[in-house]
Amino acid sequence: MSVQKIFQAVLDYEEEDVAELVQAEVDAGTDIETILNEGLISALDVVGEKFSKGTLFVPEMLMAAEAVQAGLEIVRPLLVEKGTKAVGTAVLGTVKGDLHDIGKNLVGMMFEGAGFKLIDLGTDVDPEEFITAAQENDADLILLSGLLTTSMPEMEKAIAAINEANDTRNLNVKTMVGGPPVNAEFAERIGADAYSVDAPTAVEDARAFIAAGI
Amino acid sequence: MTWTHRERIMAALNHEEPDRVPIDFGGAEFTTITLAGYEKLKKYMGVDTPTDVMSIIHTCAHPAEEILNRFDVDTRNVQPGPYEGGVDHWIDDNTYVDIFNVLWKRTEKAVDQHFLHQDGPFHGGKLTIDQVEEYDWPDGKNPGLVKGVRERVEQIKANGDHAVCLYLPGGVIHRGYAMRGFESYLKDLYKQPEALQRLMDKLCDFWCDTAESMIEAAGPENVDIIYFGEDLGTQDSCMFDPDTIYKEYLKPRHRRMVELVKGLTNNEAKVCYHCCGSAYQFIPHLLDIGVDALNPVQVTAKQMEPERLKEAFGDRLTFWGGINTQQTLPFGTPEEVVAETKRIINILGKGGGYILNSVHNIQAEVPPENIVAMFETGVAHRYH
Repeated sequence: MSVQKIFQAVLDYEEEDVAELVQAEVDAGTDIETILNEGLISALDVVGEKFSKGTLFVPEMLMAAEAVQAGLEIVRPLLVEKGTKAVGTAVLGTVKGDLHDIGKNLVGMMFEGAGFKLIDLGTDVDPEEFITAAQENDADLILLSGLLTTSMPEMEKAIAAINEANDTRNLNVKTMVGGPPVNAEFAERIGADAYSVDAPTAVEDARAFIAAGI
Repeated sequence: MTWTHRERIMAALNHEEPDRVPIDFGGAEFTTITLAGYEKLKKYMGVDTPTDVMSIIHTCAHPAEEILNRFDVDTRNVQPGPYEGGVDHWIDDNTYVDIFNVLWKRTEKAVDQHFLHQDGPFHGGKLTIDQVEEYDWPDGKNPGLVKGVRERVEQIKANGDHAVCLYLPGGVIHRGYAMRGFESYLKDLYKQPEALQRLMDKLCDFWCDTAESMIEAAGPENVDIIYFGEDLGTQDSCMFDPDTIYKEYLKPRHRRMVELVKGLTNNEAKVCYHCCGSAYQFIPHLLDIGVDALNPVQVTAKQMEPERLKEAFGDRLTFWGGINTQQTLPFGTPEEVVAETKRIINILGKGGGYILNSVHNIQAEVPPENIVAMFETGVAHRYH
């Protein structure tokens, strides 16, 4: 019942309340995964849906993600202790030459909030850095972001390198691309596995890949 | 009747059809061309005039007079000069600190990369009113800002009757992002709204002071267009809620800015507001505060189809830009650029109310042939 309060506190953007409520549930012996899934993740899903529909915007998503993060900080070590595996592992970054990280950061927050293990390589990332990080972390997904039209050729090069590594270097990842100049047609042409229009949709697409066994 | 450049622009802004669609190129920092794109254009057009940098941060050029004349461009830019005695300095070729103590960086790897803010005086921690009040703010009436402005205006008037486009950088959002950090600024709308509003007011004061001295220096009667703005949209949505966050926190400051410049120019100058991305839901608010024109009209963003915009707001709002920089200009053929330019002129230019320009600055990868195709289509256009 009180897990519902966590859910509501996320929707109210009450970071401190979320931390307190999560701690109280943990202390009361509530199942950690119930707290995570029904309290935190499902609340951020609601925020994500509203964001995609255009009824909530960037400030609200940042506030909700921060509130979820406060809960995750308590829950995460307990999940590790319990041996619970993350939903999936994603490597994230903006492509070579592109420093614009607003969209990338929103994607990162939504993935963490959805229970993924996230390796954020930051901005201006070389194709080889994506591949190495994915190998080292046994990642399921590589998420590439770019704002400028001048970044699109870099995205194409990175996807080509990752696809080649999938074929020849024992890598097994799906690639997802996003950013203002990118669309589904471009993603298909360069051989990316998915294009996601915004951060919540990217989480949905990633879940679909995980469900399909990558 | 022979139309002057100025008459052509003002007719369009007054929703009348001039002889042909008016053309802007280089009127402001967001209606020009990036430095690498400009070098390619100069080479293609056989122009060897040394490049005049308009903004290092935005990595863009003032197009040479020779090029503006070739494209029969109707606007001429006037903007503040370099601040004198500020804290601005270069750390290295790719790292710069501005007068607001904001650290800007660019990557060396990419062609023509502009600078992005990385750190600022209010980054990290909780923002407080005292912190904002105690900060050593730059002076919007700094003498460097107006240096050479009168001479520039006189030169424009002497060289032909072009529309004087006074570009006033900054505002209350983007400089706030730079000083406080993007995510912190947006979260402070909920967490520290009082302190954030104090920050907005300080930025608004600076902008208004600069506007006053610039208009005085230019001569109020010489200013045809005041160009300013800050992004409210993203590619697929609004950055924040138009009817709560924008209306409550940002619109009152934008209203103060627009009313100030309109008052100072005896309501003769037109105000062009720049907003990238999906601006559609903000347009009623912008009209309400007295904005006359919208730039850059990002037709590939959500709810920004030219037909929708003209139908909903065409009788009150002039559209400035609209030629697709995310698809047609960089990736189309010259024939496709001609067709797209004609399509946009036909939709947005009906009954006036349209000024031809690319959506934001022309980027490095746009073939010069496509730039020429866009402008020549405008030059050849006739309303009757």
